Amino acid sequence: MASLFFLFLLLLLPLVVVLLLLAVIVRPRPVRIPLKGRHVLVSGGSSGIGFALARRAAAEGARVSILARDPDRLRDACDAIRRDTGVDAAALAADVRDPAAVARALETVGPVDVLVCNQGVFVPQELERQSLEEVRFMVEVNLMGTFHLIKAALPAMKQRGKETGLPASIAIMSSQAGQVGVYGYTAYSATKFGLRGLAEALQHEVIMDNIHVTLIFPPDTDTPGLAEELKRRPEITNVIAASSGGMKADDVAQKALNGIKSAQFVVPCNFEGTMLSIATAGLSPQRSYLMAFNEVLGASLMRFIGLCFQWNWFSAIEKWHAKKKRK
Amino acid sequence: MSGLIHRLSHSHSLVLLVYIHIAPSQEYRWIGVHRAQKQAPSLRAVPILFSQHSMASPLLLLPVLMAPVVFAAVLAFLVRPRPVRVPIKGRHVFITGGSSGIGLALARLAAAEGAHVSILARRAAQLQEARDAIRLATGVDVAIFSADVRDADAVAKAVEAAGPVDVLVCNHGVFTPQELEKQDLEEVRFMVEVNLMGTFNLIKAALPTMKQRTKVTGLPASIAIMSSQAGQVGVYGYTAYSASKFALRGLAEALQHEVIADDIHVSMIFPPDTETPGFAEEHRRRPDLTNIIAGSSGGMKADDVAKKALDGIKSSRFIVPCNFEGTMLSIATAGLSPQSSFLTALAEVLGAGFMRFMGLCFQWNWFSSIENWHSKKKGL
Repeated sequence: MASLFFLFLLLLLPLVVVLLLLAVIVRPRPVRIPLKGRHVLVSGGSSGIGFALARRAAAEGARVSILARDPDRLRDACDAIRRDTGVDAAALAADVRDPAAVARALETVGPVDVLVCNQGVFVPQELERQSLEEVRFMVEVNLMGTFHLIKAALPAMKQRGKETGLPASIAIMSSQAGQVGVYGYTAYSATKFGLRGLAEALQHEVIMDNIHVTLIFPPDTDTPGLAEELKRRPEITNVIAASSGGMKADDVAQKALNGIKSAQFVVPCNFEGTMLSIATAGLSPQRSYLMAFNEVLGASLMRFIGLCFQWNWFSAIEKWHAKKKRK
Repeated sequence: MSGLIHRLSHSHSLVLLVYIHIAPSQEYRWIGVHRAQKQAPSLRAVPILFSQHSMASPLLLLPVLMAPVVFAAVLAFLVRPRPVRVPIKGRHVFITGGSSGIGLALARLAAAEGAHVSILARRAAQLQEARDAIRLATGVDVAIFSADVRDADAVAKAVEAAGPVDVLVCNHGVFTPQELEKQDLEEVRFMVEVNLMGTFNLIKAALPTMKQRTKVTGLPASIAIMSSQAGQVGVYGYTAYSASKFALRGLAEALQHEVIADDIHVSMIFPPDTETPGFAEEHRRRPDLTNIIAGSSGGMKADDVAKKALDGIKSSRFIVPCNFEGTMLSIATAGLSPQSSFLTALAEVLGAGFMRFMGLCFQWNWFSSIENWHSKKKGL
């Protein structure tokens, strides 16, 4: 009996040591980002996940600004937010592809505390069939648009941080397609992967200004954007995308906001997302030593599962092509 | 009896090796292949599965030894896409950014291996110098094409003039490190346009004839994309460059799904700092902190990077690291990328946890450096 207990202890010991080590080394250190009474700006905030985020932030007592292209949709969104929360959101009509327009818009609403770069367009198609204009459209809106937003907001955010002494946040809406590239998503995955490179480097640059970067990775979410995307999706993409469940915009918004408030670098939105985040943790920063522990312990199994997924996907592609040939 | 228990973790099954000092006066029962002699005190490693008092046949040892072999076999079955050899000799290799640096080294190497090489770059003079240098070194004449990869039409014309491609090497790249706050949006756009859109333009232009070519020749083709260790982790000063290089990975993972049925294989090469004219340019602009952080990975010569790259292309590897740190980085950032080698897959699965831990140590080191640098600056 004693030997069994001894065995058990010796099994546990290295795990405890790893846990303690992680508690010491995880960087950046955890931080809480308050929302109440602070200025939250959401791009792509007139519909879908952005709108849900804006409404939630308003409900939590934040001062909210939403940025989008269409003034009518902006007005409808502001009306809805006022109706649901009593809060008057500021509406900014601008196209994120235009850096001057973005800068002007941000100037009118004053310094931002929580910048949510949520705008995104997605048109899935095989690269061979897709027009370069569409590829460029996604790169301009999803990637360059985010650069424009951050460039415009950063100076005032830094200034604000010094004055208030409170932590600020730059949150970037990515996608599970920003964790793994699959059939039909060459352009979209390129833009979303790009946002991660931007975020990892940006966190190094802004940490000393008490600004905290957050990446959110939702799965397919029930939004007008998704409805548009589904019209164009290649069959194989549908087969592969079925590997992960869909979510409602409001649930994604809740996960996103919680992640922003706890200054998490990587914010998954559902179970598959959590598994994906462990598999693709790479060299990303991790503030929570418990999550770090999960990542270290789960990494091997997740890589194995990832290889199983690729086995599944390549087989599906093979089968689909064989079926097509026979027709 | 004194005991030291050594824990080995192996794909989540635990094997306990117990070193036991045998005292001559005591009798022990052993499980395993070694039968201890009463009079021989010695330190022996004996696999004990449950308790040293149970008597079990040596057959209990078998599953323990077989587990890694079985696991490797499972991986060999699972890994996709299946590995292929992409021949270079006598085939058409098209290299962008091929007039200097890694591209030039690649062109020279491919020419020496008997490929028919085309190089694309912007400046005609540099292209001619490159052609002369390759002729001098290998006796082979490469075809030269002048075009800016940002111009989709010019790229399409050049690719058409060059003829159907077997191995497309999207190697061109520009890099200007700077804090995003200080960097001009024009420079950010420059990097995204050249590194990312330029690669899209190339692949769009070459893909149709590449597909036809593999049908006609029955040989596998390759689309190789030059990334960077900055495409595996983003660090201080590299918001734009890392964005463009990370993006290439999203492109590559999706592209491999789309072109596998046409026997086209995607390879991504991840070199560290490499001694090239491009690097000399970059180094001048580097922020202090980027130097402190990037000092973590060793530099390489362009020829050595080219050799690793070509080897990786020929074995149709999806991820091609170029040095030891690169290999560690690749295991840490394997994510959900495809893997055609079951041995590498084994290394990835076994090393993933440890590599994540190492990655966290790196971030601890980097954030501490950033903190120290700022305190020093404040103190001045």
